[in-house]
Amino acid sequence: MPDQRIDLPQGSLDLLILKTLALEQQHGWAISERIQQISSNVLQVQQGSLYPALHRLERRGWIKAQWGVSENNRRAKYYALTRTGRKKLEADTEAWRKLSAAVAQVLDAV
Amino acid sequence: MLSELLYRLRALFRRKTLEGELDDELQFHLEKQIDKYLKSGLDRPEAVRRTRLTFGGLEQVKEECREARGVFILETLIQDLGYAIRRWLKNPGFALSAVTAIGLGIGVNTAVFTIANAVLFKSIGFDGTGQIVYTVGSEPGCELPCDTGRSYPDFLEFSREVKAFEALVAYGFRAVNVSDKSAFPEHYMAMEMSSNGFSVLGRKPLLGRDFIPADEEPGAARVAMLGYDLWEKRYEKAPSIIGKSIRVNEVPTVVIGVMPPEVRFGVDMWVPLIPVGDWQKREYRGLMMFGRLVRGANLRSAGAEMETVSQRLETEYPFSNKGVGIQVLDAKHYFYARVRLIFVALWIAVGFVLLVACANVANLLLAQAVARSREVSVRMALGAGRWRVIRQLLVESVTLSTAGGLVGWLIANWSVRAFVVAIPDKPPGLEFTMDPTVFGYLAVISVGAGILFGLAPALRLSKLDVHLTLKEGGHGATAGSRGRYLTGLLVVSQMALTVMLLVGAGLMIRLFLSIYRSQMGVNTTNVLTMNMDLPHEKYPRSIDQVLFYERLQARLQALPGVEIASIASSLPGHDGSALTYELEGAPPIDPRQRPHVGGLMIGPEYFRTLDVGLLLGRVFADSDGQAGVSTVIVNHTFATKAWPGEDNPLGKRLRLASEDGTQPWLTVVGVVPDVFQNDMIRGQFDPLIYLPYRQQPQSSMFLVARTRIVPGTLGNAFRREVQALDENLPVVALRTLDEDVKLRDWPIRVFGTLFASFATIALLLAAVGLYAVVAHWVNGRRQEIGVRLAMGATTADVLGMVLKQGMRQVALGLGLGLAAAFVLTRVLGSLLAGVGQANLTMFLTVALVLVGVGMLACAIPARRATRVDPVVALRCE
Repeated sequence: MPDQRIDLPQGSLDLLILKTLALEQQHGWAISERIQQISSNVLQVQQGSLYPALHRLERRGWIKAQWGVSENNRRAKYYALTRTGRKKLEADTEAWRKLSAAVAQVLDAV
Repeated sequence: MLSELLYRLRALFRRKTLEGELDDELQFHLEKQIDKYLKSGLDRPEAVRRTRLTFGGLEQVKEECREARGVFILETLIQDLGYAIRRWLKNPGFALSAVTAIGLGIGVNTAVFTIANAVLFKSIGFDGTGQIVYTVGSEPGCELPCDTGRSYPDFLEFSREVKAFEALVAYGFRAVNVSDKSAFPEHYMAMEMSSNGFSVLGRKPLLGRDFIPADEEPGAARVAMLGYDLWEKRYEKAPSIIGKSIRVNEVPTVVIGVMPPEVRFGVDMWVPLIPVGDWQKREYRGLMMFGRLVRGANLRSAGAEMETVSQRLETEYPFSNKGVGIQVLDAKHYFYARVRLIFVALWIAVGFVLLVACANVANLLLAQAVARSREVSVRMALGAGRWRVIRQLLVESVTLSTAGGLVGWLIANWSVRAFVVAIPDKPPGLEFTMDPTVFGYLAVISVGAGILFGLAPALRLSKLDVHLTLKEGGHGATAGSRGRYLTGLLVVSQMALTVMLLVGAGLMIRLFLSIYRSQMGVNTTNVLTMNMDLPHEKYPRSIDQVLFYERLQARLQALPGVEIASIASSLPGHDGSALTYELEGAPPIDPRQRPHVGGLMIGPEYFRTLDVGLLLGRVFADSDGQAGVSTVIVNHTFATKAWPGEDNPLGKRLRLASEDGTQPWLTVVGVVPDVFQNDMIRGQFDPLIYLPYRQQPQSSMFLVARTRIVPGTLGNAFRREVQALDENLPVVALRTLDEDVKLRDWPIRVFGTLFASFATIALLLAAVGLYAVVAHWVNGRRQEIGVRLAMGATTADVLGMVLKQGMRQVALGLGLGLAAAFVLTRVLGSLLAGVGQANLTMFLTVALVLVGVGMLACAIPARRATRVDPVVALRCE
């Protein structure tokens, strides 16, 4: 049986992270779990690659990090969306929709 | 943007904390994942294994996170820096020689920049908006710009008619005597300026008020604005001086303000320009002008308008204005035109020194590259990119040059201090301090030099063929023909630059020697001189001035220790008065075409005081210069020029030019040998005439005395005699004639010394560079030399081989350098009037010096080569 999971296209991980954080602040592990859950395990996120992306987003100022206490009383680093991050999410979502619609159109037409 | 910067800085300075946080964060993730697997029923080892698998390489993730943090470059830069410092500490000999060479180069550069900065950029204090422009006048017989001023009536017409100026300001310079209770009377330089001067420049007084138009009304109460330095030195910064009355040239004057220290204009104080007396005459051209351009006007339009007015004035007032022109310049051209040249020359010289130093260190680094090629190859083999290697090597060289910059800073500090000591008459307002501009320059050339000398070796090393180098055991870099070519090129350019510096220094030294060899024509030992300027306000009539100086001369004459004293309007080595004359019996000529001659007004004792013997006739008697007795003494050059072929010019007559032709005829009563005044070329004397001072009295006079004792010890006695006659009169330039001569020649002495030391430094650096390269070449060829010796080559053969190797580069550099110097001196020749052309002797001397030093530099490694033991040389490796 061929593997149903696909690797993420370049750059889309950022969008997924931002979307995940749009609801509430999360720590890294929860983010990766959530992406996999919501995508019904189709999207394969190499867990390690999540962290450089988080740090990069933090540097850009789209998310901010804060140390907090996790559900089982452990110290964990929580990420939350900033205001500029929210704008970025909206803009990127819009762009992504347009792109995927256009790609789908081309694919269907041929 | 700002938040990103903060983030990066935080990341940089809190590296430890962040590393810990990163560990914690990832650890937390891994534990959560393991928990998840445990809950799904896996045993612990399997859970850990799966977690590792899904997570990926931990170290790699960490590295990527660090990179994502964005401080990667800075962090590795710091690593590189640490590595570089450790590396140089391990090679102290190499580092020390490189730092010394670069330090010398940077030091002389910074020193020259500090001086140039003080002279060219700091001292002026005029505004920097570019909207202020300056005028220079021109007169027949004087090429632009010749600093001729314009008259006050002309100024009024310009300011009324020229629309390109928002406001036009006239100013003139005037030496004044200031006396009051707070200190001894002193001589200061004052600027007479239109009352709107400061406001046009946008400068406000530090204390008190600015000039107002009422201050320049004729008959207004006299006021003065003090410069900061004068206020500090004479009045110890007492704010109470505002409103006080001081005496300026004996006239009570109220101090109305003090200007801030950055406003100097090269003077000590300012007074309003009150248009009385000479200022009302159209032929009295003592005023400079500057103005603020209106919006939309530029240099050209202002210049054109000024010229139109000037031309109209020429036709309206031909007597005073014929041939008098005007030009408008911006600040850069106005202020820097004259001094710029010497600084450009100095700058070129120190630039060359720095280049020689850089070439030197580059060669040292190239030689080292052999030893490093293996290390670099290993690093590249392990995956370091080319750029990464170059960066590492550049950090190393910039570390060296920065250390050199520190050394250079010390050298510059010391040299500037030496320079300040060496210049005797520092113009007011010049401060040779290291301000932020200088430090900026120092920083830029330090880093720039490091990149300059580090780039070529770094590029070479980074281009290594890794496999080849590792296979050959580390003989890759510089062994190739390209490396040798580069090294040779560097040595040749060092030599060429040094040759040019040597020629430059040679020109200065020749000038220097010609001055010291040439005769003044007087006996300068045991002569004390001083100068006074009688204020017109207190000594209004010529007879008052004559009486004062005669009484003073008699008092000095009576002092024990004084052999003989005399009055004179100028001293040997100084300018005479510029006079125009006509000869009796000569065909009449256009008044404007009359010949010029320098003139000295002297007392009867002048020639005896200075030990000048007569050639013909007699010296002045007390009766000369009295009414009806108009006499003149001429120097030898004048006599031969005015009356060629005449053996005896005694009794001939000439008269000084005047507007109305009423000057009396002067009879030649004596001919004296040539005495040096301020002639353009030493050893060639200009014509000169001497007049009895009574005939042409003037307010500023010198007193010269030949002493029986050490002249310096009489200084206070001289001062007391002046004060006894007029306690408010300052004494200026009280010094021996020997000192005065030294003072006169300081620019040549100081700048000659500077050029000579720059050339010496460059020569030493180049010699050391050549030595290092030849020594390195010999080292690399021990085997070959060994073989040659074993095959029967003589010591002379080996010596010749090494010398040929080194001297080929010297010869090439010499040829290039001489050619460049030849061109450069021709190009600069017209600008460096008085310095003279470089001739064959000069070129030969320089060639000899360079070849000699080059031979010496090659001889040491060459001798070492002859001592190579064939057996040892063949066995090593």
